[in-house]
Amino acid sequence: MNWRWGWEAATFAPEPGESWALLAALVLPLMLGGLAALRPPRRAWVVLLAALPLLASGAALFQAVQGVALLTWSVSFDDVTLALRLNGVAALLVVVTQLIGVVAALYTAGLCRLDESAGRSRWLWPLWGVLLSSLSVIWLAADLLSLYLGLELMGLTAVGMLLLSGKAEALLAGLRYLLVALVGSLLYLLGVALILAHWGSLELAQLTEVVAPEPVAWLAAALLGAGLATKAALFPLHAWLTPVHASAWTPVSALHAALVVKASLYLLLMLWSLLIPESHVAPLLLGLLGALAIVWGSLAAWRADSLKTLVAASTVAQLGYLMLAFPLLLGPEMAPEVQTLAWQGFWLQLLGHALAKAAMFMAAGNLILATGESTLAGLAGTSRRLPLSLLVFGIASVTLMGLPPSAGFTAKWQLLQAMLLADLWWAIAALLLGTLLSAAYVFRLFRYSFIESAPRKTYRPLAPGMEGGALLLALAALLLGLWAHYPLSLLQGASA
Amino acid sequence: MMLRRMDSMMVSFEMTETLLAVALTLAAFVCLFDRHLLRATLCFIGFALLLTLAWWRLATPWLALAELLLGAIVSGASLLFALGVLPTGAALKPRHDRFPVPLSHGVTRLALSVLWLVLMAAGVRHALPAMALSPSEEPLLIAAGVWVACALGAFALHRHLLRRLLAFNVLGSGVFVLLAGMAGPMLAAQLLILVGLCIAALGTLLGALLIRRLYHLEGLEALDPDIDKTVAQ
Repeated sequence: MNWRWGWEAATFAPEPGESWALLAALVLPLMLGGLAALRPPRRAWVVLLAALPLLASGAALFQAVQGVALLTWSVSFDDVTLALRLNGVAALLVVVTQLIGVVAALYTAGLCRLDESAGRSRWLWPLWGVLLSSLSVIWLAADLLSLYLGLELMGLTAVGMLLLSGKAEALLAGLRYLLVALVGSLLYLLGVALILAHWGSLELAQLTEVVAPEPVAWLAAALLGAGLATKAALFPLHAWLTPVHASAWTPVSALHAALVVKASLYLLLMLWSLLIPESHVAPLLLGLLGALAIVWGSLAAWRADSLKTLVAASTVAQLGYLMLAFPLLLGPEMAPEVQTLAWQGFWLQLLGHALAKAAMFMAAGNLILATGESTLAGLAGTSRRLPLSLLVFGIASVTLMGLPPSAGFTAKWQLLQAMLLADLWWAIAALLLGTLLSAAYVFRLFRYSFIESAPRKTYRPLAPGMEGGALLLALAALLLGLWAHYPLSLLQGASA
Repeated sequence: MMLRRMDSMMVSFEMTETLLAVALTLAAFVCLFDRHLLRATLCFIGFALLLTLAWWRLATPWLALAELLLGAIVSGASLLFALGVLPTGAALKPRHDRFPVPLSHGVTRLALSVLWLVLMAAGVRHALPAMALSPSEEPLLIAAGVWVACALGAFALHRHLLRRLLAFNVLGSGVFVLLAGMAGPMLAAQLLILVGLCIAALGTLLGALLIRRLYHLEGLEALDPDIDKTVAQ
């Protein structure tokens, strides 16, 4: 399992151009965020022009990894090694992060243009920069110190962003989450401390060689798991998500649901496959929680009154599919073909859901902004006036429901095959039930929006970047499924 | 690269060390369990200043500086700001945490945190027989264990958000000292602690800003997340 993560020594040294692209991918978001805080952009073309170098750096990294499959950078001083590695998974994640980040920036610029009173939106820009940089660090880092730094920075900026526009109940939920997450970060730190004290290294490449199934590994895995689960808002700890998303700004919700919640799950899978690749109980527990999350989240989305609550609750359910992959990926004597299928399904689900959920939040934000209504019933009759936003919502729902040809379909197909091979019948039941339920909650919006007899209201016009960007993301989620063989070949890593 | 032992610090119980550990524990105790919020906050600042000395004694001057700047000054000022003692904004009144703690709530939460702690301590002792600093020779490590225990209990017990923020800070300090004790004088451990200190200070600042905003919007009741439960009982 560990060979898939790209911790082994790279065959080729990175060329200078590739190192510059890496530096740009990590530093440019910070600089752009700082610049935008000084002069908040109002026009889409300004944002696009400023984001071009960032997107170019992502494209260069993507290009680099196709040739050599694995690149590593590291800096050492004394007993500390800061290591970065770029493999297929990391390149895909970085590119998707940049894409969603830039579209969220486009959306924010449009929002500021429409709503001049959004005075605190100036604060959003530096936080946006830190969030993108720390996410890139998390995807690329190969040592526990950089991962800790990235994780904590990402968590704090995400909470800050979500609560910028908060109402009292959202602030309360967010503050409680902040306190729990801070304590969770101390648990994570204790886990890292155990690893450092026992094996004397924080570098993942060195740790893979020395980690053995012994009590320290189990204890560290439990501590890291508990810390990350509180941060990722995994199933029993998700309660704060919906009230916070209900009042947060749309681009912030999109970034959070698409990327931030995934980062902790990514770390959890990576560290568990390092520490307890042969364990049976912990992944099974997470998988069972995932099955519960699918059912519970879908039911909550089904019963939601407001559109944003529906979209936020569906995130809980969709994270459940990722948790379902854990018992397929980790476990004693897991068959290689099961692992391969589950590995592909995990990443396609993660990437597809990131793109689709960001698009869906933006489409929902557009509908709410244009009509001034946030409940589903208030959106009656929108099909005539806002066809594009509804179309985006529809394309994104195709991915969420897992209909072909979307990434969601391919992902679920791979997961389903893996479950059949591994005889995990309860997981198959959860997956199928989740698909039915997701169709049920998504179609609630369409039922209201096609009501023809609804009274005509005045609709606010939207800025062009707000709908175009969302459409781009929704289409990307669809195309990821159509051309799935391409990302799948990248996911296989160096040894394939 | 194997675990390196600390040579210069292997001194048995010294008078100053013991005094420092006792003073720190007292400050932590008052900070965690005094209902007078201003006094608790001031005790926290005193705790952070003493901890600066402790980092100095553990031969980690950079951490001492970071603790002084981040723990005492940034976190302390954030907490005072949340209390409304600084000239900006209205003061948080009343100055006492008057939220009642039902007995059953207190007992279950305390029992849970004690259970967690015993499991943790047994796990660490079992899994990691050789710590870099031996707890039997280093009073600060024993003290750190006591802070973690008290802070965890206080975090579970208190309902006032400011007091939970205080408890988080003491818990963090305890974890950092334990980390230094487990991993010894490695640079990697010091950097981890440094990052942890920065994050704790940023988190405290963010929490203080949120508490102020919440108080501004909703008044004091908003600072008790379980208030509706109390009404229901």
